[in-house]
Amino acid sequence: MNNFMKLIWNEQIKLYAKKGTWVMFAVLLVIAIGGGLITKFFGTESDFKEYGDGWQTELQEENAQLTAEMADEEFGGFMNDMIIAENNYHLENNIKPQPYDGWEYVLENSFLTSVISLFTIIVAAGIISNEFKWGTIKLLLIRPISRTKILLSKYVSVLIFALTLLIFLLLASWLVGAVLFGLNGLNPMIVQDMMPGYAYNDVLGEIAKSYGFSIVTLVMMATFAFMISAIFRSSGMAIGLAIFLMMAGNTIVAFLSQYEWSKFILFANTNLQQYTNGTEPMISGMSMTFSIIVLLVYFAIFMGAAWAAFTKRDVAGN
Amino acid sequence: MSKPAMQLVNLKKTIGSKPIIKGLDFDIRAGEVFGFLGPNGAGKTTTIRMMVGLIDITEGDVLIEGKSIKTDFKGAIQHVGAIVENPEMYPFLSGWKNLKQYARMVEGVTDERIKEVVSLVGLEKAIHEKAGRYSLGMRQRLGIAQALLHGPSILILDEPTNGLDPSGIREIRKYIRNLAEKENVAVIVSSHLLTEIELMCDRIGVIKNGELIAIKEVRAVENEEALKEVYIEVEPMDTAKTYLDGHLANEVGVGSKELSMSVKREEIPHILKNLMELGISIYGVRVLQATLEDKFFDLIGENTIE
Repeated sequence: MNNFMKLIWNEQIKLYAKKGTWVMFAVLLVIAIGGGLITKFFGTESDFKEYGDGWQTELQEENAQLTAEMADEEFGGFMNDMIIAENNYHLENNIKPQPYDGWEYVLENSFLTSVISLFTIIVAAGIISNEFKWGTIKLLLIRPISRTKILLSKYVSVLIFALTLLIFLLLASWLVGAVLFGLNGLNPMIVQDMMPGYAYNDVLGEIAKSYGFSIVTLVMMATFAFMISAIFRSSGMAIGLAIFLMMAGNTIVAFLSQYEWSKFILFANTNLQQYTNGTEPMISGMSMTFSIIVLLVYFAIFMGAAWAAFTKRDVAGN
Repeated sequence: MSKPAMQLVNLKKTIGSKPIIKGLDFDIRAGEVFGFLGPNGAGKTTTIRMMVGLIDITEGDVLIEGKSIKTDFKGAIQHVGAIVENPEMYPFLSGWKNLKQYARMVEGVTDERIKEVVSLVGLEKAIHEKAGRYSLGMRQRLGIAQALLHGPSILILDEPTNGLDPSGIREIRKYIRNLAEKENVAVIVSSHLLTEIELMCDRIGVIKNGELIAIKEVRAVENEEALKEVYIEVEPMDTAKTYLDGHLANEVGVGSKELSMSVKREEIPHILKNLMELGISIYGVRVLQATLEDKFFDLIGENTIE
């Protein structure tokens, strides 16, 4: 086990010795800061409004004003409708509205996990094929360590890298959010637009759910890229295929959803959140359990293929 | 005779239906430098890759310190240090960090040991520079350092003097001899530089088209009582030729000034004495030294790849 940790340590050193890796962190940081500044200076005014003790009256006045505005103007009606609906939810449930804060910013930034998926794919695609490209694979495989162990150490290193990016994104968003918007306590309750309807949830739970579900796609696509990298020993192909499938996945499923077998397509199952908000799943007959089993089968196939390619094949001509 | 450090037992490799290595059988002893010679495409690198488990063995086996590379990979490979083809390193890591990578993959390689190996190959000055900036010679040294880290009893070096300057070659040669003689390491050196093999090795194995066609002791090659090509500049030539034709089994060649003949070394003084007694003037005698290179080409014939 100790020696497995050393292998992972080796992989992390190689990873962070490359400039490209640091660029990935820099890009996330820039997006987190930039997104914060845009929200701060171009965001909807009503989001940041602080309400006093008489907030019920304030909300009712606001609603009346918005309704009047809608009668005058042709445009902006949709936005006003939304604000009125949210205000009504507050009034009906007796929840005092709170201004937009750092926690909500962290929650909103969960869409950036797709950027993390992209970076993780790039790393997963290169972690085996680069050793072949550099020729160092020969020096790696003539140590008293089984190929299976080396393969696993590389895979675990990819997951550690993804996790590091994720933690970095959370911290960066939280810091930027806290500085720009402040924090409404340690774990404030927030009103969320569920489309349709509204829900009142604690923000940490929502953050965990939102980032947690996105990890499914991340892990599956990283594993896919890892497998392609092990089989074809080429990072370009692995990156290209994985990113293409990640982008086109939902379109492919939508296109094929008329067929019964389409529910077995990987991308029909990566979005586990579809089962949590009570709406009908994309294709009938699917459930959370069904999707998890399908995902596990895909995962086993990806890992099995990577293992077979890496441990059984000759290392010649590199 | 010490027990073999490495044994090749009827080693075969077939790719598709094409036999690449057609049954190699030889031992490499502890404390010897074994030269692996052969033209390009003869199967040297394929054989070396099978020795270290990089490619599968179709038939036969490689035993390292008695352990099979096929069935006991870890037990066998821990005795081996190797450079396979070019000494490739992580270009973005320093020499030191490259060595640390490999040090972490075996038990008990301390920083002191790394320093020791680095000074052994003479890389102290550049060890903290990025390996990507190294010259080929420096990479070669780093490659040897990497192979020696864990104190292997068998060292496999593919073209070890490639890219080294003459003084570097001499140092490496001295170092390899030292390892074999003092540390009892079995060193396998593959090379196309035949003069290098001759200076460095105790034994050579010649491989051609996947078959071992000769295996010889280098010293034995030198002392062999083989026929030598002797040229004698004489006057008058016809008298001398008549005498030689009468006394030698082989044909005597006639040049513009010299007569050439194939004789054993011990016969030379005798021939000269007789020629002088016949009143023939001798202006010069030269013996053509058959080098390993000549013998190599004698053995392999032309460089054909089937």
